[in-house]
Amino acid sequence: MVTIESYLVAILLMLSSSICAQDLSAVVTNMKKANTEKEYVTLRSELERLCIQSPGEWLPYYYIAYADVQLSFRTPSKEVRLKYINDADSYLKKLADKPDADASEVYTLKGYRLYALIAFDPQTNGPKYFGEVTQNYQKALELNPDNPRAIMLRAMFNNDMAKFMHRSYEGFEAEISKAATLFTRNNEQPNHPSWGKEWLDNRLTVK
Amino acid sequence: MMKRISIFIVFVFIAAFTAFAQQRVIEGQVLDEHSKPIENANVFIKGTTEGTGSDAGGCFRLITGQKGDIVVCVMMLGYSEFTVKVKEGEKVPLIIKMKPDNVSLDDVVVVAGNFKLKGNSQWGGMSAVDIATTGGSSGDLYRSLQTLPGTQIVGETGRLYVRGGESTESQTYIDEMHVLSPYTTTGANEPVRGRYSPFMFEGVNFSTGGYSSEYAQGLSSVLPLSTKDVSPISKIGVNPSVVGLGGGGTQSFSKGSVSLSLNYEDLGPYESLFPDRMDWIKPYKLFSGGTQMRFNPNDNTVFKTYVGYDRTSFAYHTNPLLENSLRSLGLNEDNLYINSTFRKDMHSGYKFFTGGAFSFKKQNIDNALSQGDFFGEKEWEMHLKSKVTKRFTDFLKLNIGAESLLRHYQMCYDDSLAQRYSISHSINGLFAVVTLNLNSNLNAELSSRVEYTTLNSNWNYAPRLALTYNLNGFHLSGIVGRYNQLPENRYLIRNKNLSSEECTHYIAGLYHEKKDKIYRVEAYYKKYDNLVLKNSNTYNSDGYGYSKGVDLFFNDRSLFKNLEYMLAYSYNLSKRKYLDFTELTTPQFGTKHNATISLKYNISSLKTIWGITNRFASGRSYHNPEKAGLMNETTKPFNSLDISLTYLASKRVIVYASASNLLGRKNVFNYSYSKLSGEAGSYQATPVTSSSDHFFYVGIFITLSGKAAYDVSNF
Repeated sequence: MVTIESYLVAILLMLSSSICAQDLSAVVTNMKKANTEKEYVTLRSELERLCIQSPGEWLPYYYIAYADVQLSFRTPSKEVRLKYINDADSYLKKLADKPDADASEVYTLKGYRLYALIAFDPQTNGPKYFGEVTQNYQKALELNPDNPRAIMLRAMFNNDMAKFMHRSYEGFEAEISKAATLFTRNNEQPNHPSWGKEWLDNRLTVK
Repeated sequence: MMKRISIFIVFVFIAAFTAFAQQRVIEGQVLDEHSKPIENANVFIKGTTEGTGSDAGGCFRLITGQKGDIVVCVMMLGYSEFTVKVKEGEKVPLIIKMKPDNVSLDDVVVVAGNFKLKGNSQWGGMSAVDIATTGGSSGDLYRSLQTLPGTQIVGETGRLYVRGGESTESQTYIDEMHVLSPYTTTGANEPVRGRYSPFMFEGVNFSTGGYSSEYAQGLSSVLPLSTKDVSPISKIGVNPSVVGLGGGGTQSFSKGSVSLSLNYEDLGPYESLFPDRMDWIKPYKLFSGGTQMRFNPNDNTVFKTYVGYDRTSFAYHTNPLLENSLRSLGLNEDNLYINSTFRKDMHSGYKFFTGGAFSFKKQNIDNALSQGDFFGEKEWEMHLKSKVTKRFTDFLKLNIGAESLLRHYQMCYDDSLAQRYSISHSINGLFAVVTLNLNSNLNAELSSRVEYTTLNSNWNYAPRLALTYNLNGFHLSGIVGRYNQLPENRYLIRNKNLSSEECTHYIAGLYHEKKDKIYRVEAYYKKYDNLVLKNSNTYNSDGYGYSKGVDLFFNDRSLFKNLEYMLAYSYNLSKRKYLDFTELTTPQFGTKHNATISLKYNISSLKTIWGITNRFASGRSYHNPEKAGLMNETTKPFNSLDISLTYLASKRVIVYASASNLLGRKNVFNYSYSKLSGEAGSYQATPVTSSSDHFFYVGIFITLSGKAAYDVSNF
């Protein structure tokens, strides 16, 4: 009898966990559509609650860091921008304690956060963090050569740097094309990072 | 059994139904400490994902089905988490006042330009790139710092002179550990350089006064340099230049890295291209090598060890005008610095630091004062330090520590007589720094240091109080602090009972930053006591003096895109009765007015960064023995227009060039007088100038490894 009651309690807990997963699923779906500061702030708040509710899960931590990076591009106040970038770093560090975190995705986001830091103050941070951005994308691709976000971000970063040097990045088209193909593959894991396709579509449309 | 299960299921459903049926409203307003509304605060019920955000007026309205007492939690970036218990039936609107979080409290003002302002006069965290691209810096840390207000231009030495203080009153620290000999050794009137490449350091914080009592044995300024905790990129590079060849690299591992740097300088070829006023027998040669190991077993633990060695040698004929015969002075110097530190941040909030540093310098000079003599000097210092820091509450943070400086110095001078001197002693100190965040606008830092010096068996007490107040973005600060420093070894060997020299700083400052512009003004008064005074051939501690002045600083990154310019002006009036000066007088290094204009312009179409700096200093006092009184003449003003150019030739090649004193002004720093034989009271004056009016530098930094680029690949 006790066993049956325990099962029922377990079912309730699973139900609660499932509600969390559903909450996260809604946040992830909305994040793909989000564009304004307000939208990202709202999503960030929801993720903050999910982090407290499910401290063992890696995805809420990952997405809150992602939202922080996005907010750093959208917030006008320099002081607040820096706070978001630093906050993203603290969440990314917390992911080191979560063994089930997808390390390739974490390295990709680390590289993207450093890119945000360069965008914050290119003159100071450009020379300082250039190498680390490339290094993080490289590590991400060593762990998963088919990570479309790492391929896309590295291609864009190399292309921007080549433009800065008044040159062209020869591998750009091939890498972007590879990323576009990989984005069409569906990841079977629910709520697994899948952002980036929209950017690529926009970029290809603009081109 | 089935009955009990049915009851359990029914209970669960009733509970769920009741929750949906009886909704309650939680509403209120989120304010900051000054009762200003906070927008976008995350308001939610603890233990659930039910929540909402506050609107522009800070107001929120949360509808929930939760029954009983609930805990409402409010979170906002930059503020401490706020929780409040709401009892069932309670309908009073919640007024929530948020307080800044610990991170925000610890970095009271951290702004875009890396400037810090917390109870001391820090001109801020410069990066290696800032240093290298400063016009005329030639990539040297100390030359670059000499563009900042508070520093005084003493062109013939190149050392840091701050706010009317001697260069020996400025101390350099690497990773919180003292560096006994931070400058290279050069010939007479040739400016020194820093021994360490600015690219070694991640943070360069320069404090021109009022610094924390944590820093020992510095009367005027401190320069804490921090090396990188992590170096995640493996890289190898070389850098040939007009003065030599350097190279190095870093091998990165998953939990650490090892860096190595080697450098060889030989000014022979440079001298043949651009001869100076020196009569070289063996032009200046420097070999230096350094290695650093960093180990990061986890995010909260850092272990670093740095070992640096350099050997300097040169020989030249001294100015025959002032001596009867030609003298060939030859110098050899060995310098070693080892620094090992351990830092751990505990989850409990305690931060531990412990470190040890060993500095060793041995210098031999042949024909130092007259042909055939010999001067030898050997000294070492062991610095041991431990401290613990903890923020106990939003209101209180404590930093306490202990340290010892064990020192040995020996000197010999052989001419017709053999003179030998030697001293060994230690300086042992305890320090405590209490930071009080009285409110988000008002902060106080109380610190004190107790020190015991074994040589003279003296106890010294050095208290300090710093207050900062943020008045709508205008940061006002006031500091009073006392600092102690033992006299230089060359005086201590003559009199071991000399007291520690004392300096009390009184500083009032205003700082404001708006839209990429930084404004800063600081006024100060420094009172010196126990300075070394020469009386006949003995030394005592009866000297004293003062230094007062105003520093102004303006930095603008908004005038034109890619242009940054800086204006710095310092007024200083200092007088002291010390050493040979038996009455209160302006020291020879003192300059009343110092002004610097520095521009940096990034022309991205040409892939270049231009740095142009003009440094001006009013004339310096000197003593003309043909006239009455002390320090009775003044030199002409100093001026130097310097330029630097950084060119990104390709992804892996950076070309750096700099030139000093483009206008070719012959700056005179002082006059030496030699007695003319036969005529009583007649002297011949020789101007003291730099050995060269210009210095040109061209270096190419080549990255050889695959992953790094746009980087100086040594450390």
